[in-house]
Amino acid sequence: MSPILSPQDVLKQAYESHDHVALSFSGAEDVVLIDMACNISEDVQVFCLDTGRLHPETYRFIEEVREHYGIDIDLLHPDADSLTSLVKQKGLFSFYRDGHQECCSIRKIEPLKKYLVNHDAWITGQRQDQSPTRVELPQYQLDTAFSDERRDLMKYNPLSYWSSAQVWQYIRSNDVPYNKLHDQGYMSIGCEPCTRATGPNEHERAGRWWWEEETQRECGLHIINLDTSDQ
Amino acid sequence: MKITFVKKILASGEPCPKCSDVEQRLVKTKQLAQIDEIVIADERDPESTGMILAKQLKVQRAPFFVVEDNGEQKVYTVYFKFAREVLGKQTSGADQAREILNDNPDLDYI
Repeated sequence: MSPILSPQDVLKQAYESHDHVALSFSGAEDVVLIDMACNISEDVQVFCLDTGRLHPETYRFIEEVREHYGIDIDLLHPDADSLTSLVKQKGLFSFYRDGHQECCSIRKIEPLKKYLVNHDAWITGQRQDQSPTRVELPQYQLDTAFSDERRDLMKYNPLSYWSSAQVWQYIRSNDVPYNKLHDQGYMSIGCEPCTRATGPNEHERAGRWWWEEETQRECGLHIINLDTSDQ
Repeated sequence: MKITFVKKILASGEPCPKCSDVEQRLVKTKQLAQIDEIVIADERDPESTGMILAKQLKVQRAPFFVVEDNGEQKVYTVYFKFAREVLGKQTSGADQAREILNDNPDLDYI
């Protein structure tokens, strides 16, 4: 098993190992990665998925980060034809009825896929404590979702072993700007229609797509069930 | 060539949403006629045909397709790859993105 690196060491590894590295910024507490990266590399390329449905506070925060660090932030927009087709067929709030995947695919995944084609590696703010499905999230991995026959894409998750508390300690200790929605009870911040503030005892993911049941996202064939056939 | 489409019934008894989505695509694109057999992997029944097939082929996600051709067997767990390679169908960027998200549900959380 590889030793656990500090987030800064993971970032160094990413920038030293690849020529074209993209840093993903969601407009939330993953801003700490920008703060760290700007102290490591002179060529920090940041992108943000502008779904068109972000909170006004998030757009203001993106601008604040751009000015604070003096960096360019590439805003990735949905493909116009795909989005037009979705809205024409299903309206602006189909996710409440049909689930969020179709909308997220068009507003996030499709532009992300196109963008990453030009990169060797990307950096995300994903953490193990964000979701039960991320408990084994490594600090770096081959990104099987966006690699293709022509090239391997690496994904770095420098904050994978950090807790939310550690992220916030870093933000406060280093005077890192943060999205004002956090002061209003938003632990996780996504699109405006799909994010709500969470209570003190709720998991941060409870504020995202709260109208959907967990089972709707489940598509694997349970090993546990497969194994029972031996009994 | 023989094509088998394996779709899942959840432990709750409900059909797997992704399997239903793929089946609807097969219907909509008139590709269902090219599927020779549809079998069920019922999570409540390890002896169901699909669960046994999944175990034999070491497949851990559904739906999946088994293509048998000239004595060779190939498994596809990604619909659009199957559609492109086996059925020769071009797929849109939005469709491919949907498949990526279905297979990597955490991606929408970035």
